[in-house]
Amino acid sequence: MAPSASTQQILLSPAELSYLHTSLSLTPPIRPDGRRATDFRPLHAETDILPGTYGSARICFADGTEAVVGVKAEVEKSTPSYAGDDGGDRDEEKGRNEWVEVSVEIPGMRDDDSMPVFLAAMLSESLLADGGFTGRLWINRRFHWKLYLDILLLSQPLSYPLPLLSLTTHLALLSTRLPKLKSEQDEDPLFDDDWDASVHLYPAGSAKPAVTLLVMAVKDNIIFDASKEELSVAEVVLAVSIASHSSSAGSGRMQVDSGSGRQLRLLAVRTIDPPSRLTHPGVPNSLNTATGGTAAASLEQENSKREGLHEEGVWQPPRGGAKRKLIAGMIARVLEKGGVGEEVLDGLNAVELG
Amino acid sequence: MTSLKRSLGSDPLSSSISSKVFVRSTKSGKVQKIVRELYLRQDIPCSSKLCTACLATAPRDAAGLLAPFVLSAKPAGTKAYPNGHYLLPDTNALLNALDLFESTSAFYDVIILQTVLEELRNRSLPLYNRLIGLTKSAEKRFYVFFNEFRLETYVHREQGETINDRNDRAVRRAGKWYDEHLSQAVKAAGGNKKSVPTVVMLSDDKENLKKAKRDGVAACGLKDYVSGLENAEQLLDMIAVVKEGREIRDARAQEALFAEYYSVSKMMTGVKNGTLHQGIFNVSPYNYLEGSINVPAFDKNLLVLGRESINRAVQGDVVVVEVLPKDQWKEPSTKIIEEEALNKNENPDAEDGEAVVTERERKALQEEVKKVHSKSSEGRPQPTARVVGVVKRNWRQYVGHVDESSVSQSVKESRKQQTVFLIPMDKRIPKIRVRTRQAGEIIGKRVLVTIDSWDRDSRYPVGHFVRSLGELETKGAETEALLLEYDVQYRPFPKAVLDCLPTKGHDWKVPASADDPGWKDRRDLRGLQICSIDPIGCQDIDDALHARPLPNGNFEVGVHIADVSHFVKPNNAMDAEASIRGTTVYLVDKRIDMLPMLLGTDLCSLKPYVERYAFSAIWEITPDAEIVKSDFTKSVIKSREAFSYEQAQIRVDDASQQDELTTAMRTLLMLSKKFKQKRMDAGALSLSSPEVRVETESETSDPIDIKTKKHLDTMSLVEEFMLLANTSVAAKIYSAFPQTAMLRRHGAPPKTNFEELANQLKVKKGLELRTSSSKELADSLDACVDPQESFFNTLVRIMATRCMMSAEYFCSGTQAYPEFRHYGLASEIYTHFTSPIRRYADLVAHRQLAAAIDYEPLDASVRSKGKLESVCKNINVRHRNAQQAGRASIEYYVGQALKGRIVEEEGFVMKVFSNGFVVFVPRFGIESLIRLRDLAETEPESTFDAEDYVLRTSGSREVEVELFEKVVVRISDVKEEGTGKRKVRLELVKTGGK
Repeated sequence: MAPSASTQQILLSPAELSYLHTSLSLTPPIRPDGRRATDFRPLHAETDILPGTYGSARICFADGTEAVVGVKAEVEKSTPSYAGDDGGDRDEEKGRNEWVEVSVEIPGMRDDDSMPVFLAAMLSESLLADGGFTGRLWINRRFHWKLYLDILLLSQPLSYPLPLLSLTTHLALLSTRLPKLKSEQDEDPLFDDDWDASVHLYPAGSAKPAVTLLVMAVKDNIIFDASKEELSVAEVVLAVSIASHSSSAGSGRMQVDSGSGRQLRLLAVRTIDPPSRLTHPGVPNSLNTATGGTAAASLEQENSKREGLHEEGVWQPPRGGAKRKLIAGMIARVLEKGGVGEEVLDGLNAVELG
Repeated sequence: MTSLKRSLGSDPLSSSISSKVFVRSTKSGKVQKIVRELYLRQDIPCSSKLCTACLATAPRDAAGLLAPFVLSAKPAGTKAYPNGHYLLPDTNALLNALDLFESTSAFYDVIILQTVLEELRNRSLPLYNRLIGLTKSAEKRFYVFFNEFRLETYVHREQGETINDRNDRAVRRAGKWYDEHLSQAVKAAGGNKKSVPTVVMLSDDKENLKKAKRDGVAACGLKDYVSGLENAEQLLDMIAVVKEGREIRDARAQEALFAEYYSVSKMMTGVKNGTLHQGIFNVSPYNYLEGSINVPAFDKNLLVLGRESINRAVQGDVVVVEVLPKDQWKEPSTKIIEEEALNKNENPDAEDGEAVVTERERKALQEEVKKVHSKSSEGRPQPTARVVGVVKRNWRQYVGHVDESSVSQSVKESRKQQTVFLIPMDKRIPKIRVRTRQAGEIIGKRVLVTIDSWDRDSRYPVGHFVRSLGELETKGAETEALLLEYDVQYRPFPKAVLDCLPTKGHDWKVPASADDPGWKDRRDLRGLQICSIDPIGCQDIDDALHARPLPNGNFEVGVHIADVSHFVKPNNAMDAEASIRGTTVYLVDKRIDMLPMLLGTDLCSLKPYVERYAFSAIWEITPDAEIVKSDFTKSVIKSREAFSYEQAQIRVDDASQQDELTTAMRTLLMLSKKFKQKRMDAGALSLSSPEVRVETESETSDPIDIKTKKHLDTMSLVEEFMLLANTSVAAKIYSAFPQTAMLRRHGAPPKTNFEELANQLKVKKGLELRTSSSKELADSLDACVDPQESFFNTLVRIMATRCMMSAEYFCSGTQAYPEFRHYGLASEIYTHFTSPIRRYADLVAHRQLAAAIDYEPLDASVRSKGKLESVCKNINVRHRNAQQAGRASIEYYVGQALKGRIVEEEGFVMKVFSNGFVVFVPRFGIESLIRLRDLAETEPESTFDAEDYVLRTSGSREVEVELFEKVVVRISDVKEEGTGKRKVRLELVKTGGK
C-alpha cells in the first residue's frame, strides 16, 4: 500500500469531516463543489513548452496544482543479455525497464523522501506495465535510447498529485520526438540533423502511454477526481493505471476484442492509504463526560468501545480494508465503455500536440 | 473533462525572438537536440555606400568605430543591368564556381548571405575558407550580410518545408529586401531612380530561379550571367561541371563502373569494430594502379590493386578499406605501370561503353597475377584491400598540362566547347577530364585545374580549368607550378604583416644608450671575436660563433643566434603569417621567405661589422670536449667577419694566418671533431641523400653547370655546434616547460622498413645490415663497402635514408620521454633553435627559452598544448613540402642544364622491376627509369629473377642487369610527343664501369 497522500495536515474538524462523509455517501453523492461523481474539474494543458527537451507538457488543475514534465533522451549502448537469449528475432524491438528513468520533484521535499520516490516508482511501474513502451526505445541490436522523464510538481501537493503527474507525463510522452535514424541495421546510429524530420515516439494512431487515475470510494459511492477535502474522508483510494490500444496497432501480444475500436487495458492497481485514517475521530456522546458519558480510562479501552459504535454524525476514521466487490466496481467504472477512462483519454487526445 | 490551451503570441516582442532547432551528433556518439535563440535586430547595415540610413544606425564597436561600408556606390554594370548591380550568389553558385568569384576581371560588389555562408561551410570546408579569404580582401568588395539576424530578412521555416527550400527562400527574401532598401536609400538621397543598382541573385537551381521570377527578384543563372561578361570564354571554363548533363546520362541507365560507396554510418561502425580500416590513400609512384594504405591495425601497408579496388580514391584522400580474402592477396608489383603509356589514345568524349579496366590494363595486371602464382611459397603475399568509401576528399588544385592527343584537330582553332584530358604533374593523380572552350590556347601550357567530382559511371574524375600559368618549360610557369604543387605560400606579404615591421626600416640600429628598454637584460658581447660561416651568398645569417681560451685551460664557446623573437611578437599579423608559412623555401633561383626581407636579410641577420641583437648560448668546454657549464642569454654582438665555408677552410688551412679569428676557428674545428666522434660513438647515423648544386648565370639564372656538393670540414664545424646548441636548448626548455616544450623527434624506423634493403645487400653483396639500434645500423652501414667502388657506400646510405621515418616537430606533452629520441642524431632530446629566420619552430623555441631564463613571460600561445600541436602539425607539413619543392626545383634545373646535350655517365642500378630498372646517376643526382622497351627497337624478351634481383633479356638485345651494378648510361633529354613534356632520358650503353 502506497503511503498517505500528503504530509499536509487536514484542517477539518471531526464534525466537518462527518458532514462531508455523510453528503458523499448519499445516493447520488453531493460533492462540495457540486460535481457529479464522475465529473472532472477543468484543467489547462499544453505541450511542447520547453524547447530544449525532446517532449514536454504542462497541466494545471483548477485547484491550483500544476506540473511540468520534460523528456530527454540519450543514445546508449545496449549491454548484451546473456541470460535466456531467446533467439535473434525475438530480441528485436524488445526493450528493458532500465531504459527509462523517472524522477519526480516536489517542492519542499528532498529527492529521497518517500513521497517522490513512491510516486516515481508508481509512475514508471504503470508506464512499463504495458510492455510495449520500452520497445519503442530500441534502435538496433547494439543501441537504444535511454529516456529520462523529469517530472516537476510546481505547486504544493494539495491533493494526491499522482493523477496530475500521470496525465502530464502522458502528454509529454505523446509530444516526445526522437531524431530520425539514418543508419541501417546494426550500424552505429547516425541521425538526421534536421529536427523537423524527427519522429514521434508515439506516432499518431499507435497505442498510447499509460494513464493513472485516482478513484475513491465512500460507502458504495465511487468518486473520481477527488479534491483534497474529499480525499480526507475517503474510505478506499485506488490508483488505477490503464492504457488503450487502437486496433490498428494490434500485434500478436494483445488480445483485442473484435468490434470495439479502442480497447482499454488495465495495467496496474494500487491501493493508496487514504489520508482519512490520520484524522482525529469525533467524540460520541457516550464517551463524552460533558454529555453524561464516561470517558475511557485508556486508549485501548477507548478503541474497543469505538469499534462497536456507529453513531450518525460522529466522525470515525475508516478502518479495515475495502471490499472486493467495491474494488471490482471501481475498476469496472474506469474501464467500461463510455466510462471515465475513455473520457480522460479522449480529453488528453484533444490536446493539440505542438 | 475539458482542456484549454494557452494562446501564444500575446507577447509584443515575440516577433523579434526566434529560435533555431537542430540535432547535433557528437564524436562520442551522443545525440543532442540544440535550441538556439535568435534575437532579431534592425540595425544590421546593408553596407552599401549609397545608404545613409544604415550608416546612422549601424552598431559601433567599443571604440565607437564603424566598420567601413563595403559595397561601392557605383557598381559596375553589364548589358543586362545597365544601372550597375550587386551580386547575391546562392550556395550552389558558390559551390560550382568559386574560382569565378576569385577572378579579378569580374565579380565585384558581392553580397554573401549568412545563410549561404553557413550552408557552404557544411558542404565544403575548403571552399568556405577560400570564401572567407575573399570577404577579407578589401579590393573585391565582398560583404557578409547577416540576414538571419535581421528582422526583415529572417525567414521562418514553414510546415513541411525542407531546409534547402527554406534557405532558398531566405536568399530570395534578402534579395527582395536589398532591392527595396536600396531604392528607398536612393530616394532618400534624392537620387534618380535609374541610379539604383540591381541586386542580382545568382543561382544554378532552376526552381529557385523560377520562384525568384515569381517573387519579383532579379535573378540570373550562373552561365547566363557569365555569358554576358566580357571575357566570357575564360570565365565559363571555371564553372564546375554542372550535374545536369550527367542526369540525362543517368536517364539512359548508364551502367555504373564503380561500386557504390558505403554509407557513412556503415563505414563508421565498421571502422570502430575493426572490420573496416581507415587511412590515407597513397599511390605508388611507379604504378598508378597500386595504392597502399597504412592503417593502425597492421604493421605493413595494405595494398590496393587495380582500378576497381581503388574505386575512385585519389592520392591523399582519407579512405575506408575492406581487407580482401586471403586468396586475393598479392605481392607488391615488380612492374612499372604508367597511365600515360597504357591509356594513350583515349577519347575523352567517349562515354558509352567505357570499361573501368581497359583491355591493356587488364593484361598488365594479369601478368602480375601469373607472376605471383608462379612464385615459390617464399614470396610472401601482402594483404590487399579495396576501397569501400571516402571519408574525406583531399582534392586540391592540380598543376598539369593538356594531353594533346585528346584534343581533336578540327576544334583546336574553333571556340567550341570540348572535353580534354589533363595530365597532372603528379603521376599519382589520375587524368582529369576537363571541359573547356580554350582547348587551342591552353595546349602546351602549364595549367591549374581542380577536380569537381568523380561519379560511379565515369572512368576519370571531372574537373574544371582554373587558370593558365604560362608556357611549358618557361621559368615563371614551372616555378609557380612547383610552388602550387607543394602548397608554398608565395604571394607577397600583405600590408598587415608589413605594418608589424619596425618603423625605422633599414635605418634601425641597436640603441646606443644602454638605458634603452631594448638593452634590458641583454649582455654586452660586442667585444668578442665573433664570426659567421655560411654558404656563399648567404644573406639571412642566422648564426655566428666565437671561441676563446679561458685561464683554466678550458675554452669558452658561444653560439649566437639572430634574435628574431625580439622583432616578431607573438600573435600579431607577422607571427600569424610566419606560422602559416612555417619555413623559408629555397629554390634554385628563388627564395620564398618566411619573414619579410627587412628582417630576414637585414635587421635580424647577423651581418658582419654591425651591432645586432642575438640570443647566445655560451658553454665552458674542456679540451676533451666535455661541457663544464652552459649559459643562455640575450645579447648584443658585433660579428667581425662573415665567411663562406670555402673561405673559412682556406683560412684555417693557411698556417701563416695566426690572427684571433683564425685561431678561434681552429679551436672550434678541433672541438667539433671531438663532438662528432662522440656522437658517432653514441650511434649517430651519417646518412646521405643525393645532393647537387646547380650553378646559374647570375643575370638570367639560366643553369650553367651542375656540381655535386663538396664536403668541407668547416661545414661539420658549424653543424656540430648547431647540434650542440639545439640539444642544450631542448634540455633547457623541456626542464622549464615539461608539457609544452617545442621539440623535434626522429622515430626509430620499424624493422620491416629495412627488410627489403637488408635482403638485397645479403643476396647481392653478402653484407649484413643490422638494424636493431641506430648504433648497429651506423656500424653496419660503415661496413657496407665495395673495395672496387667507392660510391657503393654512399648508394647504400641513400637507400637506407629512404627507409627512415621522417623527423617531426612535436609538443613535449604529447609524447612520453623515451619517444623524444632523435634516432638519426642519437640524441635523447632535440629541438630546432639555430635558424629562427627561416624556420618557425626555432622562433617558438626562442620564445620558450627566453621565458625559461626569465627574460620575458611566456606568451599564452606557446603555453597552450593544443595550439602548439596545431602549429607542429602545420610546420611538419610545410617543412616536408619545402624540401620536396627544393628538390623538384633542382630536378627541373638539372633537366634544363642538360637540354640539348648528350652525355655518357656512370650510374648505379637502384631498383629492378620485371620490365625495367631504375638507374641513379651520382654526377647529376638524377634517378630515372629505363624500360625494357627502351633497350631496343623491339622489346626484348626478359626473365626476371626476383630472388636474385637480376633481369636478363634476350632476343633483340641481350643484357643482364643486376641490382647495385654499375652501368654506363647515355643521358639526353626528350620532349615527349603528345604530352609536350621535357624529360631526362637515360639509355643503357653497357653494363659495368666505363
